[in-house]
Amino acid sequence: MDHIDKQKLQAAFALFQAQDVYLHSEATSFVFVRNFKVRLEEAMIAGDGPYRAALRFDQAGWIRAEGLTHYELAADGKLLLAGYDERGRMNVALQLGKEPFPE
Amino acid sequence: MSRTTEGAKRTILAVFAHPDDESFICGGTLAKYASLGAEITLVSATRGEMGRRMGNPPYVNRETMPDIREKELRKACEELGIQELIFFDIRDKMVEFYDSERLIERIGELMEAKQPDVVLTFHETLGGHPDHCAIGKATSEAFRRAQQKGSLFYITFGDAMEAPELFGYTKQDVVRIDVRGHLKAKLAAFRAHRCQTEIDEWVWLPDREALAKLGGHEYFLAGNRSVEPLVFNDLFQARLDR
Repeated sequence: MDHIDKQKLQAAFALFQAQDVYLHSEATSFVFVRNFKVRLEEAMIAGDGPYRAALRFDQAGWIRAEGLTHYELAADGKLLLAGYDERGRMNVALQLGKEPFPE
Repeated sequence: MSRTTEGAKRTILAVFAHPDDESFICGGTLAKYASLGAEITLVSATRGEMGRRMGNPPYVNRETMPDIREKELRKACEELGIQELIFFDIRDKMVEFYDSERLIERIGELMEAKQPDVVLTFHETLGGHPDHCAIGKATSEAFRRAQQKGSLFYITFGDAMEAPELFGYTKQDVVRIDVRGHLKAKLAAFRAHRCQTEIDEWVWLPDREALAKLGGHEYFLAGNRSVEPLVFNDLFQARLDR
């Protein structure tokens, strides 16, 4: 994964906007969601690093994550965002796919 | 294993939850019995794909994790001498939510096929992680239903079972395995699980210093308590001398 570049990430977000997407998200060990299918309206990035991201979906829906440091537009078209701590542990993840993630 | 090894091959079936359980908790014992000729089958219920340790610096992400951890586990199995590795492909953290009857059945089928002399798994309440407790509970139930001729042992952490009374057990329930001759293999297995151990500096110290951090003994709790164990330093003698 690469360090987040806001402009590049915005361009990657644009690939998913105004369509049905599958979400994977988690924060530390406490919760994860996988393959939530939503109609994504807008994806936003904020901050100067670590970054915050918010997804607006299904007219009334929000998901927000902070502590994001890295991203990757994977070969299979999925957009992966993650926040790593200084020792390589993943604190947070927010991932978008046009197809479901492997179950 | 000594005098009891004559004749038939000894077999161990280890049923754990995550890649690395076999190395971090009882890698010395597995390496020891493998070196004595035991055939070991390892089940990892999950691929550990929800782990938070991604390497240091990170080289893993959530979606590459299952493949990377499988490769690292295969390397660890080579280091320890484990011949067969089976994944149940239950999602990490979800073992307790998997159909328990189906899980018991799958483990039972393996017991039937392998006829293990020794079954190793987690204690269903002392396992320390919900996945550990769930796989331990299912394995114990499968063992009871199969009316296995062999022995069931629960793996335990560090030297906690030097004081089994604290957990409601006595020294009679504990088998203590001397693994001092097999710490090199155990350390190699730790290092094979690279994405999980890079965060732990001691693992990557020069061999002599790293080996000094590993305990010389591993401890197992007797799982089938209907019979009194008579020998306390050998998983197989504990069975045969009953």
